[in-house]
Amino acid sequence: MRPENYQAQSHPPSNEYELFIGPNHPGIEGNYAFKLKLHGDVVLAGKADGGYLHRGFEKLMEGRLWIQNIALVPRICVPDPVPMEVTYSMAVEDLCGLEVPERAQWLRVLQLELSRIAAHLFTFGGHAATTGMYTTSYWGIADRDLILDLFEALTGGRVYHIFNIPGGTRRDVPPGFLEQVSQTLDYLESRLPDYDNLLFTNQVFITRAKDVGAMTQEQALEWGVTGPNLRATGLAFDVRRDDPYLVYEQLEFDVPTEAAGDAWARAMVRRAELKQSFRILRQVIERLPSIGGPVRAPIPNPLAWNVPAGETYARVESSKGELAYYAVSNGGDKPYRVHVRGPSSMHAVQVLEWLAEGARLEDVAQIMFSLDACPPEVDR
Amino acid sequence: MSDLSKIPIHTEKHAPEEARTNPLAGVFDELVRFAQSRSMYMLHYCTGCGAIELPPAMTSRFDMERLGIQPMVTPRQADILLVTGYVSVKTLKRIILTYEQMPSPKYVIGICSCTVNGGMYWQSYATAKKLSEYLPVDLYIAGCMPRPEAVIEGMRALMANIQSGETEPWKDYYQRYDYYLGNQQHLFGDNWQTPTDVIGQAQHYGLAGPETEGEHTRILQQYQQPLVAHKLRLK
Ligand code: SF4
Repeated sequence: MRPENYQAQSHPPSNEYELFIGPNHPGIEGNYAFKLKLHGDVVLAGKADGGYLHRGFEKLMEGRLWIQNIALVPRICVPDPVPMEVTYSMAVEDLCGLEVPERAQWLRVLQLELSRIAAHLFTFGGHAATTGMYTTSYWGIADRDLILDLFEALTGGRVYHIFNIPGGTRRDVPPGFLEQVSQTLDYLESRLPDYDNLLFTNQVFITRAKDVGAMTQEQALEWGVTGPNLRATGLAFDVRRDDPYLVYEQLEFDVPTEAAGDAWARAMVRRAELKQSFRILRQVIERLPSIGGPVRAPIPNPLAWNVPAGETYARVESSKGELAYYAVSNGGDKPYRVHVRGPSSMHAVQVLEWLAEGARLEDVAQIMFSLDACPPEVDR
Repeated sequence: MSDLSKIPIHTEKHAPEEARTNPLAGVFDELVRFAQSRSMYMLHYCTGCGAIELPPAMTSRFDMERLGIQPMVTPRQADILLVTGYVSVKTLKRIILTYEQMPSPKYVIGICSCTVNGGMYWQSYATAKKLSEYLPVDLYIAGCMPRPEAVIEGMRALMANIQSGETEPWKDYYQRYDYYLGNQQHLFGDNWQTPTDVIGQAQHYGLAGPETEGEHTRILQQYQQPLVAHKLRLK
């Protein structure tokens, strides 16, 4: 029997509902939110909800001296900070017509590749954890710490280094540093078979990651996808090779690709890139001792440094994709305008929304981690 | 929808504590505090860049689990709220919602200089500068960013405080709710509401003091709206 005050109400079908993931959720990379509309456990539509990490970087930079901004830029992408410093420095050097000494260029390549390895190890850990395999993340993050130790020996900081400045680097390598790098590389290389067993040839991972979040090459190009995510769709484009900066022209490396364009292909491309970074670093270790000279070009008094008026666009290949700085100077001691073109602003917003459509609920976190999106860089 | 605001809130006070006569009461309290300090679940809200030093602190190398500290994914089961870095205004709302959902006793740790005084974003238009104006903070771990060792050291300090019974800022939130709410309203606007009835809880725990209610909590009632279910908003 129904209670007296019973009133029939019309509801939307109960198998259609909305779910909020994040901003405080282990399946989300950082402080970022995602709203989903679901039918059962199939995603009908997704909407990215960013802005939790917005600090107004581009505005802050206009209020600080050119040299002070060096301390600000690494905070834009926390897991991979070195490309931020290097690209910003390249932009300022371009505006001033500063020539960077060769040794400093090699040192920058050394840091860039170390940072790429650290970022990829971190990503493997996150990606594996979203498929329920936590061992990889525990080991990956502990191995990443070895790279952070190297950074500490070189720069004094674990995560933020503030080591590259316009004109070169702050210091030279400490004695015995290259041997230390070489030993770490040996160790990391010996760990790759372990990671293969744990993750890359693990049937659980393959079943979970194959055909999840797949995009075609045409879609990837249309959506502005860059970096490993683009190479996982079969296009061999790498800024390091196709628009070389620093000394990448003198280095030998391949640009690994995969054809499938799904989460598995993206993980495999990163794994192959790890090997290429080892290869590049070995060449750097071999060549660096034979390159003499200073590590920094003389720069004017940084506190009263009026950068000549002009505009420039500097780009590098970061571990997440193509990273670029567009800087405008009006001849003052502070930037007139700096714009950061981060790869994640495409990957974590529209690409993630489109790939989530039609995916299953449990794969949404995996898609996000396999795109290797970096929320602080989306929000800036 | 039914009008939930009409449901009466349980505001009856606890009977005043009776004098404890059991000679073992002190020993028992100490035991409880010891157990509390050795099994802490932390909710790490990755608000800012300091969050990047937490995975190393939690995983194989520094291994926080040795100290009995484990990450927890929901606020309802967590003891510690870690705020790891600068808080933008949008995030701060979520932090307050999260904090109010946590069961007492609860502890807040502010990691990074940005939570202390705004850090290097002191002139940013988008961040809240001092966390302790909006929430009672137990402990700050300063540094930009603090190393995993520092994070663990801070945790140990918190454990020692819990064991000695010194750390009770969570009571401050109930006792001086008007102050915290005033700062929150200043930042978010007068119509700021949270689903938790903090005043009711304060009365329930017997922690309501003269500063629990005031001019700011009166504004709260003015804007109170019945809870309604949201419509599905995505296409
Ligand atoms: S103190 Fe430094 S590391 Fe921490 S949130 Fe602020 S800028 Fe980031």
